[in-house]
Amino acid sequence: MKNRLKVLRAERNWSQEQLAERLGVSRQTVNAIETGKYDPSLPLAFTIARVTGLTIEQIFDPEENGH
Amino acid sequence: MTVAKSQPSGKVTAALMLIWIVMYFAVRFYLEARPDLASWARLGLSFLPTPVFAFFLWHFIQGIRTADELERRIQLEALAIAFPLGMLLLTTLGLVQRAVELNFQDWSYNHVWPYFAFFYFIGMLIARRRYT
Repeated sequence: MKNRLKVLRAERNWSQEQLAERLGVSRQTVNAIETGKYDPSLPLAFTIARVTGLTIEQIFDPEENGH
Repeated sequence: MTVAKSQPSGKVTAALMLIWIVMYFAVRFYLEARPDLASWARLGLSFLPTPVFAFFLWHFIQGIRTADELERRIQLEALAIAFPLGMLLLTTLGLVQRAVELNFQDWSYNHVWPYFAFFYFIGMLIARRRYT
């Protein structure tokens, strides 16, 4: 599943560490999501949406495979 | 929701594992050095490292429960690799033992258990490489 997390993070001038802290996960998790190696759970996807102020559909694209 | 919880220290978990390993080898060498001890004393000594391992296990599980979802996934995949490999080792050794005479000094319980730790680290390596 492709996502725009890296772009959204860059737009907000957040480091992976800062985003990870906001999401309550490790920096490795943020990196794995950004690189498409890991698809987050639904609760984490909702948290990402809340933190970025967007909807899940605006961040994640289920039609495209990020792997 | 995903909330960061206070995570048990990995150093404490590693320290507990180290204490167990030291205790295990101390008991093992002592039992080998003192075959004259009474059976009840030898049996009692055999179980001496068990409470330390139980505490290590409890600490390890607490660590996994409070880890974030990717770390839990990595741990799950590591165990999903290690557990069948452990079964494969034991079943293969069982078959080989029926086929030929195995030297007990080479393939006793004393020598097989480190393979389980080795399989777990192989699993961790594969899982971590996949997600990082």
